[in-house]
Amino acid sequence: MALKTIDAKMLSRMFLAGAKNLDSKKEWINELNVFPVPDGDTGTNMTMTIMSAAKEVAAVDTGNMAAICKAISSGSLRGARGNSGVILSQLFRGFTKSVADKKELNAADLCVALDKAVETAYKAVMKPKEGTILTVAKGAAAKAGELLEEGRTGLDDFIGEVLRHMEEVLAQTPELLPVLKQAGVVDSGGQGLVEVVRGAYEAFQGKEIDLTQAVTMSGGSASSKDHSSYQAQAEADIKFGYCTEFIIMLNKTFNIKMEMDFKAYLESIGDSIVVVADDDIVKVHVHTNDPGFAIQRALKYGALSNLKIDNMRLEHQEKLFKMSEQESEKPVEEPVMEKKDTAFIAVSIGEGLNEIFKELGVDYIIEGGQTMNPSTEDMLNAIDKVNADHVIILPNNKNIILAANQAKSMVEDKEIFVIPTTTVPQGITAVINYVPDLSVEENVSVMEEEIGRVKTGQVTYAVRDTSIDDKEIKQGDYMGIGDHGILSVGEDKDAVALQMVKEMMDDEAELISIYYGEDVPEAEAEAFGKEVGNLYPDCDIELQYGGQPIYYYVVSAE
Amino acid sequence: MKKTAIITDSNAVILPDEAAQKGIFILPMPFMIDGKNYLENVDLTEEVFYQMMSENKSISTSQPAPGDVMALWDKVLEEYEELVHIPMSSGLSASCQSAAALAKDYNGRVQVVDNRRISVTQKSAVYDAIRLVKQGKSAKEIKDILEADGDNSSIYIMLDTLYYLKKGGRITPAAAAIGTILRLKPVLQIQGALLDAFAKARTINQAKTIMIGAVKSDMENRFGGISPDNCELCIAYTNNREAAMQFKAEVEEAIPGFEIKAVDPLSLVVSCHIGPGSLALTCCKKLRD
Repeated sequence: MALKTIDAKMLSRMFLAGAKNLDSKKEWINELNVFPVPDGDTGTNMTMTIMSAAKEVAAVDTGNMAAICKAISSGSLRGARGNSGVILSQLFRGFTKSVADKKELNAADLCVALDKAVETAYKAVMKPKEGTILTVAKGAAAKAGELLEEGRTGLDDFIGEVLRHMEEVLAQTPELLPVLKQAGVVDSGGQGLVEVVRGAYEAFQGKEIDLTQAVTMSGGSASSKDHSSYQAQAEADIKFGYCTEFIIMLNKTFNIKMEMDFKAYLESIGDSIVVVADDDIVKVHVHTNDPGFAIQRALKYGALSNLKIDNMRLEHQEKLFKMSEQESEKPVEEPVMEKKDTAFIAVSIGEGLNEIFKELGVDYIIEGGQTMNPSTEDMLNAIDKVNADHVIILPNNKNIILAANQAKSMVEDKEIFVIPTTTVPQGITAVINYVPDLSVEENVSVMEEEIGRVKTGQVTYAVRDTSIDDKEIKQGDYMGIGDHGILSVGEDKDAVALQMVKEMMDDEAELISIYYGEDVPEAEAEAFGKEVGNLYPDCDIELQYGGQPIYYYVVSAE
Repeated sequence: MKKTAIITDSNAVILPDEAAQKGIFILPMPFMIDGKNYLENVDLTEEVFYQMMSENKSISTSQPAPGDVMALWDKVLEEYEELVHIPMSSGLSASCQSAAALAKDYNGRVQVVDNRRISVTQKSAVYDAIRLVKQGKSAKEIKDILEADGDNSSIYIMLDTLYYLKKGGRITPAAAAIGTILRLKPVLQIQGALLDAFAKARTINQAKTIMIGAVKSDMENRFGGISPDNCELCIAYTNNREAAMQFKAEVEEAIPGFEIKAVDPLSLVVSCHIGPGSLALTCCKKLRD
């Protein structure tokens, strides 16, 4: 095809197709999480981000470039969730900046837009890391520049080449980020971006895509879904029924040519392919209807280990059923709040933790955390609800800080302060240190200083086998996760929790707080608290019911 | 006939021996415990008070009976031409207003000082008053000087528990809002008026650091600089003298150049509201002659 431009109608189509493709791959992208925790949700976060934009795009005139750009930009900014979601929204914001006033886009325009996208996204992240979605985006912009210089401006070729290059960059992400290599995965955010571009490219090539379905199926956080639509989605989504994973223990060198050949073969029998090669092993993941073919082919390169084949159609049904149940729990309407000078918003989950935050004076709780990252829009709604000139936000999770900062940059009538709390105990310490008599600026500086003294550890279980920080982890193991990595692993919950506490402690700590989750019986938690108390007789022990899901214990030492 | 007498109430924590020695007259605060009346430091010692508190007896305080106030004044005025009466903070009790009303019948011979102080800072004002008498100041002059100087003091108190504070109800809504799920150590402040919330700490050490920081900031920003020439620091406590002595050493280390002037128990009226186990750090700006 010799098409040289993209008009507004095509851009809209491509965007929706990109969103749809990401949506169909989200479960698989979730699995690329480095930590084998039960709630890795990069795929979900990115999908919710792009779907929020897709809804707006579907609602505007497809002939109007400016309106489509605005819909993409503002829809994704508001819907942004999690770090990858926020970065994705910034990429879209940057991309649309330079194209909004164009009627049609040629290769040169796309080049400028990609540069702008990368520039904007890098600026939005405080410490940009390579080996992530940012690197993949940067690769796309660089390749586009090269192609333009070579005069390859036919868009089919141009976009196709950019996509291929993005895949190559993505495959290199484990080389840039050691944690990815150790876990045997590529960067999940980068994978998400590749899926968006792949969907868009397919639409450009004229592939038929049911766009209405994409938008109505997974419309962001709106709770308008019912079970039957999930079922429709399940059938539409799963083209290849068996999730197949294994490791090849190489009996010869696996060069780049062999890797490409192997990938090409897998593409011919399935999708959602991940092939990550190390010096001695290759980790393989593919969704296919013929797992046997994949295995047969892999045997050419070496012996296989850790084989796992799941029937996704069966599992998907269960998952969807659960999701639709959760969605039906609608938030309760809050009355208008009392006017204050400074209000607090905290992200928290679990009855006990919510109660603690409220009692300490937090005005509004956004339900969420590691398991469910609230979107920028959730933040904006909360900011809107609290009746105060100054609003202090406690994100209480590494993956929520960016969304909070994004919300801050979108609010004009209130002054927003985001305290970069990465854990719930940090959030609790921050709000405890708030002194109404001091100015909000003084308070923010005290809070930022105090949260630095809080060390946190959290106990959960592993959802798959992996190896992180030189620790072998098996599916179902308990893990103690600290501020900077895995502190303890094992089959005995209490032993893992206790080892985690030991790893966290230093001479300065004088208070150990233990918040036990919804799955821990009170008596068990009390026994654990006593054990910790015996181990550290000089420390005060504060044992509280947190009621959080998935995390058995959240422990802090300060 | 002598010139000017100084009267204060038992909140100033001046024990009878010291009062007799310095020529200060003390009006004891009345307590009602399980339906029986007591007078602070007359028939109610610190020890007995905390004993009854730990037995969870119902304890209430009230202002001194007007008859007792006037009886003391009348007795003193037999010996003195005039007197200065320094009651506890008008923000914490109606004692001051009542005394001021009674004083109207004494033709200026009784000057009631409304300097919004309590306990340790009230005591410091009493000492200032004695010096002013020696300098030959009149009762009216002393009243004016002390009232102008009233706000040059602050008290920070770390509570061991919120139980008594919530029970007593003599606190601001901000203080009442401090949660009780976590075992916090609230730090309160008295700046003249009510007991007010200042900060929350999770451990005793943190609370001590907060109090030391607050006092340093007050000296720096309100009392003319961190120097023993400007300010006087004292420590007070409720039923935990040992902990208070340890705190004294810690404060002296944290704020070099200062010697804690006194380590006194807080008055029983304050104890009644905050319970045992609290520590207070107070700061008074020195009165310039």
